[in-house]
Parts: sequence; C-alpha cells; structure tokens
Amino acid sequence: MTFKQKIFFVLTICAVFVSCSSSNKKLPIYGEREAIKKMINGVEVVDTLYQTIPKFSFLNQDSVVINNDSLNNKIYVADFFFTSCPSICPIMKKQMLRVYEKFKGNTEVKFLSHTIDPKHDSIPVLKNFSNKLGVNSMQWYFLFGDKETVYNLAKTAYMSTSYEDKAAPGGIVHSGYFLLVDKNKRIRGAYDGTNEGQVNQLIDDMQVLLNEYQTK
Amino acid sequence: MLYFSFTLLVIAILLTACVNEEKVKYTRYFTDGAQLYKTNCQNCHGANGDGLAQLIPPLTDTSFLRKNRSQLACIVTYGIADTIKINGQTYNFKMPANTNLVPIDLAKLLTYVTNSFGNKQGLYDVSEIENHLKKCR
Repeated sequence: MTFKQKIFFVLTICAVFVSCSSSNKKLPIYGEREAIKKMINGVEVVDTLYQTIPKFSFLNQDSVVINNDSLNNKIYVADFFFTSCPSICPIMKKQMLRVYEKFKGNTEVKFLSHTIDPKHDSIPVLKNFSNKLGVNSMQWYFLFGDKETVYNLAKTAYMSTSYEDKAAPGGIVHSGYFLLVDKNKRIRGAYDGTNEGQVNQLIDDMQVLLNEYQTK
Repeated sequence: MLYFSFTLLVIAILLTACVNEEKVKYTRYFTDGAQLYKTNCQNCHGANGDGLAQLIPPLTDTSFLRKNRSQLACIVTYGIADTIKINGQTYNFKMPANTNLVPIDLAKLLTYVTNSFGNKQGLYDVSEIENHLKKCR
C-alpha cells in the first residue's frame, strides 16, 4: 500500500465512523417505565412499557375535535398558555412561531397549544388569536377544553404545571415548557420556551426524531 | 472691559452647566427607562420593540408615538382595549394595565421608548407626565 492509499484508507474508516455515529443519534425517552412480560410465539419475553400521553379530546380553533387519533403518525410539540397572558406567553409564542416556520407544511409535524383560561379563551377568541399570529389551523391547533381536564393533563401527562393564583400577572401560574412528543405518544424532550438556545435545541431534536422514523 | 468679559464668562459657564444638567438628566432617564422597559414591557413588545405578528404592535411607528405623545402615559398606566392602527396595520388585542408605575417611572420609561427603535423625541419630564395623567379618558 502506498502512502496515498493508506491515507485514503484511514479517511474512509473515519468517514464511515462519523456517519454511523450521527445517524444513530436518538433522543431519550422520558417518563415512568415498567417491565412487562409478554408471550411472543410461545416464549415469554420481557418488554418495557413507557409512559405515554393519555387519551384526550378537545376542540380546536375551528371547532374540530382533536384527540389522540388525530395525532397518529405525527410528532408534535405541546405547550400551555392563555391569550391574555402578559408574562411569558408572548415570548413563548414568538419562539414557537420560529419552530413552526421551520416545519411549516411538514405533514408529520403538528403543534398543540392548550389554553389554560377557557373562561376567557373561547373558540372565537382562539380563532382570532391564531389568525393574528398568522398560522395554519391544520398544523397548529389551539385547543379548548374543560379547565380541570387541561390542568390535570398538564400535570400528569406533560409534567408541566399550571394553576390559578390571583397574585400572578394575568391570574394564572404556568410553566413555559415546550414538550416534544413522538409518534408513539412518548415524551422525548422538554425545552424552556422562553430560552432561544433551548428552542434551537428543540428544532435540532425534532429533526433527529423525524430521522428515527425515516431509517426504518 | 475686564469686568464685562468676566460677566460673559460666568454666563457662559452657567449656560453650559445648564445644558449639561439637562443632558445628564436625559441620560439618567434613558438608562433607568431601559431597565423599566425590560421588566415591564419587553416580554410582549420585544427587546427591539418589534411586537408579535398582528397580535402585539411594534413600537417603531414614529409618527404614531409623536402624534399620541400626550396619550402614552395613559396607555401604559391603564392599558388599552381600543383598535389602533400602527404602521398601517390594525391591532385589537387588549393591552393590560401597569398601575404599578408611578409618574417618575413613566417619565423614564417613555424617555427610553420614544428615543429607541428609530424614535427621537427627547426627554419626558415628570411634570409633563403628571399633566397627561390628569387628562386620561
């Protein structure tokens, strides 16, 4: 082997190594998990059962029912907000808009914004809000539902908090997290929606997540 | 003659002192105003005063801010529920009240806003703010 050939050989190995390691990149799976035993072809095998987003059913800004089945074969980003929120919501919406612009028109990607103030945020208010934000109601759902149900969903499914507090600006306390959910309804990432760096990470991670489904 | 030039000199010194005092005041208001903007306004109107889509208006409409100079203190204090036109675009989402801000805060805040984001209106004085607040609708 000549020196040139040797160099070429080493470079090829390096290239293979680098490309393999990057395509193998996977996001962690968050939440509780338990080992379950099941029978496959008469053999008992142990499998892992992951925590998933439980069944839900809400109306979106077009009064269309959105439930788990509407999100089959989609990855999505969820957050909790209310339209009259003066504190962190406008920053979150500005950042979410940035993510939306990146994945606009991608049929595998949806956005869910749950209002935590259904008393004020009626469906027409949500419709007006989404129009003024300039987003497509087929890709970004603004969801209206019973307050207790939404608060409970935030707490148990998304590990996010929201509760009423008269002392807080706007009267409601809530965390500003964007939650990334995969096609199996498992949480794959949580990002501070007020932090530009973390939102950039979300954009990168969404691409990684989409790639997971492409290689199969 | 000597006496005359001395008087001139004194007047000149006094004048510069006055001008400087005004300039120092402006700089102080502007700097404090930037801090007040950050804590009270920036979440919605943004660090560059660019607002959010058609929901939150930008603060870059120089002619609106100039025409409504006497209304700005009232808008900041009591919020606004009317439809307004900014840069030719209509905005109708409600702006919340900021009754925590006292006249001196408003003077500093508005000095900052009306001299940033492409605006150049000079100093807002506390007395001017107090006058404007008396006429809020």
